[in-house]
Amino acid sequence: MNRILNILSQALEAVIALKLRSFFCTFSIAIGISAVTIIVATTEGAYKKAFDLVEVFGPDAVLIVSGSEESRAIARREKTLTLADADAIRNSFGTAYLVVPMSSVHDVNVSYKGNRYSAPVVGTTNDYSVSWTWPVVEGSDFTEEDLKRAANVALIGNETMHELFGDENPVGKFIQVRTIPVQVVGVLQERGASMGGGNLDNRIVMPITTVMKKLQNESKYIAVMRVRFEDIENLDFHREELREFLRMRHGIPEGELDDFQIFASKDIIKFLVALTGSLIVFVGIVGIISLIVAGFVLANLFHLSVSERTAEIGIRRSVGAKKRDILHQFLAEAILLTTAGGVLGFLFGYGGAKLLQKLADFPIHFSWKAFMIGLLLSWIIGILFGLQPASRAANLKPIEAIRG
Amino acid sequence: MNPLCLMENVKKTFRIGEDLSVEVLKGIDLKVDEGEFIAIMGTSGSGKSTLMNLIGCLDVPTSGRYLLAGREVLGLLDDDLSELRNTHIGFVFQSFYLLPYATVLENVLLPTLYREKTAGHVERRAAEILKLVGLEKRMNFRPNRLSGGEQQRVALCRALMNDPEIILADEPTGQLDSKTASEIMNLLSDLNKKGKTVIVVTHDATIASYAGRVIHIKDGIIIDE
Repeated sequence: MNRILNILSQALEAVIALKLRSFFCTFSIAIGISAVTIIVATTEGAYKKAFDLVEVFGPDAVLIVSGSEESRAIARREKTLTLADADAIRNSFGTAYLVVPMSSVHDVNVSYKGNRYSAPVVGTTNDYSVSWTWPVVEGSDFTEEDLKRAANVALIGNETMHELFGDENPVGKFIQVRTIPVQVVGVLQERGASMGGGNLDNRIVMPITTVMKKLQNESKYIAVMRVRFEDIENLDFHREELREFLRMRHGIPEGELDDFQIFASKDIIKFLVALTGSLIVFVGIVGIISLIVAGFVLANLFHLSVSERTAEIGIRRSVGAKKRDILHQFLAEAILLTTAGGVLGFLFGYGGAKLLQKLADFPIHFSWKAFMIGLLLSWIIGILFGLQPASRAANLKPIEAIRG
Repeated sequence: MNPLCLMENVKKTFRIGEDLSVEVLKGIDLKVDEGEFIAIMGTSGSGKSTLMNLIGCLDVPTSGRYLLAGREVLGLLDDDLSELRNTHIGFVFQSFYLLPYATVLENVLLPTLYREKTAGHVERRAAEILKLVGLEKRMNFRPNRLSGGEQQRVALCRALMNDPEIILADEPTGQLDSKTASEIMNLLSDLNKKGKTVIVVTHDATIASYAGRVIHIKDGIIIDE
């Protein structure tokens, strides 16, 4: 213990005395470590986000979207799913405990007592809150009865509430949706940004019957349908079944493409991993290169340092330092420097990741893991690249060292 | 009583190239008793520095016998030589060799870092030794704030720190003016009177005159005592 403290305090003195060397070593390591920190934080962030989303999306859920893959690619969404499809699925799939059709209208003008706002309106069934695991915090969800008679009722998002009502309690009040008076029955819990950076808290949720009839002038087609199954383990199977079922209902001949798409939570993870993957590869290459460069900078500066300090090595040897004492001393110096570089790099990485999060809305998550990986890497580099110069110092012959 | 150092027919050969080697010491017989003050004199290239390195266990003879404090040095491992230096020898060099970034006190404490068993109160002992040479007020200075004579006194304190039997000084006054030089030599004499064995390597007859015994070396052999 005493010996380790001695080695460390000797190393610290040298680190402080040789400022320029210390600065370059620390700085080059810091750049590499900061890149690594960003990678780890982004990866972790992506996975955390993915799992959060899966949690919200529901691990037992699939989302069926109108229109083929091709039509979606050119952003021309044709509607192919119908309310009847939803009913058929509800009746044919025994384990589908929730089948929730949805249709939405963007940028609908809403107002309350002169407060104007533009919000997306989502039409859905009365299971919306349950179906998205999205609690109603004030008031209550609309009812099946509301759905049946296409009632003018709405749930509003947290942001819409603030925009229209300020501090006023909105439950029971009437807002204007386009020209239709709609009664607010409940407020949805604040949710924050979605994975695409989109706002989720400004939406207005109304019975799908009301939205189709009064806002879309539509009697049959819907945009999206959400299905949740009791038996999670058969999800892949159900997905394939649903596909066959809908193809049959839509009368799609064999060999032709589906006129809908089915997503499950797996697809969300895939999407996010692909999104962050390219960044990880880029920063990863930068990180590895800069760490290798940092290692060589360290090794070179230490070689120089060993040459400059031959007299010191000589005098230490003459007063009784063993080879391993010299080896340990130089290694301790290297590790001390790379540790400082590691900590500094973590701070740089932290700042860089925060910036990235702000500029590009990347999911970032910091944990001890990012810090420990950075620290561990910096130690590995310290030992790996410090070993050679340190052993050169240790193997200097005392008489040659003293001759200077 | 056994002699402190005993060399019998010690030879040292340095290899220079593939098949070129130079015999620097050609058969040295030397006996040093405890408490002696010896000067080893010779011109540069005579082999006196090599002899000093061998006595101080900084290097090992090519052949012959060398007993230091009763222990055969030939064939010892590097670690054992380090330990011998640490406990039996205190070095003083011409250019002081203090660590520039360490304080006077830390420089004096240096040999204790490499001791197997660290005695307690090393700092108190260092302070006492520094007081002996009149540098107790300079303990927290860096070497570059000291004069040459002061630096050499710090080096002497460092040599004394582990209480070795032998003080081995290689041209200890080579970089000092004559007044400071005589101060240093007087300190060495005092130490010798207190029982330390002192071996000084020099080419300066004035310095050698402090010694009780002068050994002249030329071309790798002792020519005259």
